[in-house]
Amino acid sequence: MPDFFINGQPVSAAKGQTVMQAAEANGFFIPTFCWHPHLSVSGNCRICVVEVEGEGGGGSWMEIACNMPVTEGMRVLTDSEAVRARRRETLQFILLNHPVDCGICDKAGECTLQDHHYELNGLPSVSTIPKVHATKYFDLSSRIVLDNERCIVCSRCVRFTREISKSNALGIQNRGDSSLVRPVENSNFEADPYSDNVIDICPVGALLSKQFLHKARVWYLKATPSVCPGCSRGCTVDLWHRKAEWKLNALDPRENTAIARVTPRENPAVNGPWICNKGRDLAQIFERPRAQQALLKGQPAPLADAIAAARRLIGEARRPAALVSNWGSNEELAAFKAAFGDRFECVVKSDWHAMPGERLEDELLIRADKNPNTRMAQQLFGDEPRLVPVDADLVLVWGEGASFANLPRGAKIVLLGSYLAPENGHAEVFIPVSIQTERAGHYTNFAGVVSRFEPIVRKKDGVAHAEQLFAQLAATAEAIA
Amino acid sequence: MTGRKLLMSFPVTPTSHLLSEVRARGGYETLKKVLTSMTPEQVTKEVTAAGILGHGGAAFPVGRKWSVVHLNDGQPHYLCANADEGEPGTFKDRWILENAPHQLVESMLIAAYALQVRNAFVYIRGEFDLPYRRLQGAVDEAYAAGLLGEKILGTDFSLDLVVYRGAGSYVCGEASALITSIEGKKGYPRNRPPRLTVRGLYQRPTVINNVETLSNVEIIVRLGAEEFRKVGIAKSPGTQLVSISGHVEKPGVYEVEYGYPLAKFIYEDCGGVLGGKGLKCIIPGGISTKVLTAADIATVTYDHKAMEAVGSQVGSGGMVVIAEGTCMVRLLQVMLRFYHHESCGQCTPCREGMGWLHRTIDRIVAGKGRPEEIDTLVRISEANDGTTICGMGDAAGYATVGIIAKYRDEFEYYIANGRSKNGGRLEVDAIEREVAHA
Repeated sequence: MPDFFINGQPVSAAKGQTVMQAAEANGFFIPTFCWHPHLSVSGNCRICVVEVEGEGGGGSWMEIACNMPVTEGMRVLTDSEAVRARRRETLQFILLNHPVDCGICDKAGECTLQDHHYELNGLPSVSTIPKVHATKYFDLSSRIVLDNERCIVCSRCVRFTREISKSNALGIQNRGDSSLVRPVENSNFEADPYSDNVIDICPVGALLSKQFLHKARVWYLKATPSVCPGCSRGCTVDLWHRKAEWKLNALDPRENTAIARVTPRENPAVNGPWICNKGRDLAQIFERPRAQQALLKGQPAPLADAIAAARRLIGEARRPAALVSNWGSNEELAAFKAAFGDRFECVVKSDWHAMPGERLEDELLIRADKNPNTRMAQQLFGDEPRLVPVDADLVLVWGEGASFANLPRGAKIVLLGSYLAPENGHAEVFIPVSIQTERAGHYTNFAGVVSRFEPIVRKKDGVAHAEQLFAQLAATAEAIA
Repeated sequence: MTGRKLLMSFPVTPTSHLLSEVRARGGYETLKKVLTSMTPEQVTKEVTAAGILGHGGAAFPVGRKWSVVHLNDGQPHYLCANADEGEPGTFKDRWILENAPHQLVESMLIAAYALQVRNAFVYIRGEFDLPYRRLQGAVDEAYAAGLLGEKILGTDFSLDLVVYRGAGSYVCGEASALITSIEGKKGYPRNRPPRLTVRGLYQRPTVINNVETLSNVEIIVRLGAEEFRKVGIAKSPGTQLVSISGHVEKPGVYEVEYGYPLAKFIYEDCGGVLGGKGLKCIIPGGISTKVLTAADIATVTYDHKAMEAVGSQVGSGGMVVIAEGTCMVRLLQVMLRFYHHESCGQCTPCREGMGWLHRTIDRIVAGKGRPEEIDTLVRISEANDGTTICGMGDAAGYATVGIIAKYRDEFEYYIANGRSKNGGRLEVDAIEREVAHA
């Protein structure tokens, strides 16, 4: 049985659903600015008006879809002439004091106001009055800049800090068309670890990332699905980087391959539509100086020589042990297990620990374990805390975070690493391996949800893919054993 | 005389608002009767039968509002008196608060009994000083006499009454903004549904009535619905306190029985237009109602139906008399300046529209208007009609459309000539000087 009708078509709705929710679930388009599926209903933008037809042809009236509960047999029109006329009028209001400076606005290309204006109005303003000026560059925090002229006072950011991040850091000051989004007295938006989400949910270019400010037009960029390795939540993210066809030789080559920005990729099973600020700063993790040169006792050597040397050491070892990286993908961990699981004493190591000042854990997303794949590593290699056996004569160290001082004295060390670090030169053999942005794979998060990441750049020639490397290192090891 | 009196039924003296004198006049006898011999349902039934309409402006039937609250539904209910009398031209509740505060307190006690309310609030506008002191004095007197607090008059009924002072926002007189303000938040109106009688103050069923409306409750219960209905007319029972101001000889607050001839009220009871001038128009019930010209009001009676028939409303009873020679463009400018200043800025059409209206009329008054801007004013007003969260957008629109519909020629003249057709004056003595000078 249909519950109600949208544009004459029967639509069923769950109890307590609003017209907006039912329309969205059934693929009917209703424009919105202030409504957000994960925030409370504010009902202030008035763009989502729909026409509700009275029973028995008894006239019709306008209601906002976001706040209108579905009632049995209700007849709703989302695209009647009256609705279109009303939306045109509302857009006249919304654009009245909006500067329409899309040409220099980072949001252009993915701006809700732009989209709705082209789709629903497209007419020039009827106003003959100069626009109201407001603060053009207001520092909300060291990460976010606010442009009050572009702001349409939808209050999404205010509701986000009240309902999701719970920092209560933002509010609206003044009344009428002097209304300004401002930090609330005695609040600390700077300390809100989820603050950057307000940039994504802003329907216009009022809240912008300082990192990304004027860095690129979004249509030059491509979003590649990835997984944030910042903690064991494993939020799915999009890594934005320059499209191949828009690569410019005039640019610094690093800019052509760099991560331009990171945004959440909505995933109800893991992170919903949010990520934390650490996830926005993945470039700070991935774009540290890379190790691209294999080393033998600290001396540069060709990759093939380093692999051969490591293979020989592994083959000769009588009591080999391994420190397994919990930054390895499911595939790499499986390959490691297949290659060394029988012969090696494998100990799971934490590559990464919380930084000073970093939020350790909270109820929304952030987990205390700051590594992406501890769950799969422990599943394969055991979850009881263990030490490398003191009589080990060879330790295969994979990834970061191992202190050589804690390893058995006299044990030879083969190190597989990705970044420049002093200990690279202290290992017997150092082999550079690829990082997450150079390969595809999967992580298993703390709750067992598996998420896939894709490469955004090709690895350098002098660097090995760990997944293949393990088999190469182990091939002779098995033969000798 | 303006018909029978219900509220202004006693001589006002410097001490007539005190509990001792109120009791000597028979005050709180009705409360005793209600608490000892009536059930809450009987009180609500009586109020519903009396057919009283809200006196705050929207004229919503009080009985219907009350009947939405379910008694014995296991949750607390709240009662609020709206004393945030902010509608320009309206100052009738002030008379009650200053001269008959116990009438309000007793009526709220009866209403609270009918609605099973334990905590009631009076939201009084911050600018009211004497009314606040008088009301707070009455509440303190009532507490001291055991008429408020625990176990009132020895019965099981208890009520605490809090007088909450607003901070001077017009929109906080809107019921949902009022409760948001009591909750300690910014005075933003709320979206309906849910209605406030379903989920209001602190998310509980809440009845909010105007001060004058509530003050009538005691009278209804004292007289009985049938007797009450004999005052006024069938569709509009009772009386309305009218605060009349502007270009009128005898401004002030008058109690007018519904069905009283409006022209007689203005010309005879209020002494006609100031300085013997001709009447240009009146704003009948607060500036959010549409203006009525002298011709419109010649035969109309003062009640809801008759006022709607001529295209306006009883509204909040704040009547403004406007003499011949007043500039309607300037008048609209003053009104739109007010709406712009008081728009809360929550929803788009009002936030942007009020500023747009105000700046447009400012340009016209400055002599820089363009002919098409008259239509822009109308267009903005119509785009505000029924699209905003609260009624303020509609109200500003009605006022604008009402004036432009009747005095479009003055706007056209102003734009064409860059000056007012009427010397651009709002004050009668100034108009007089202008005429003398000419």
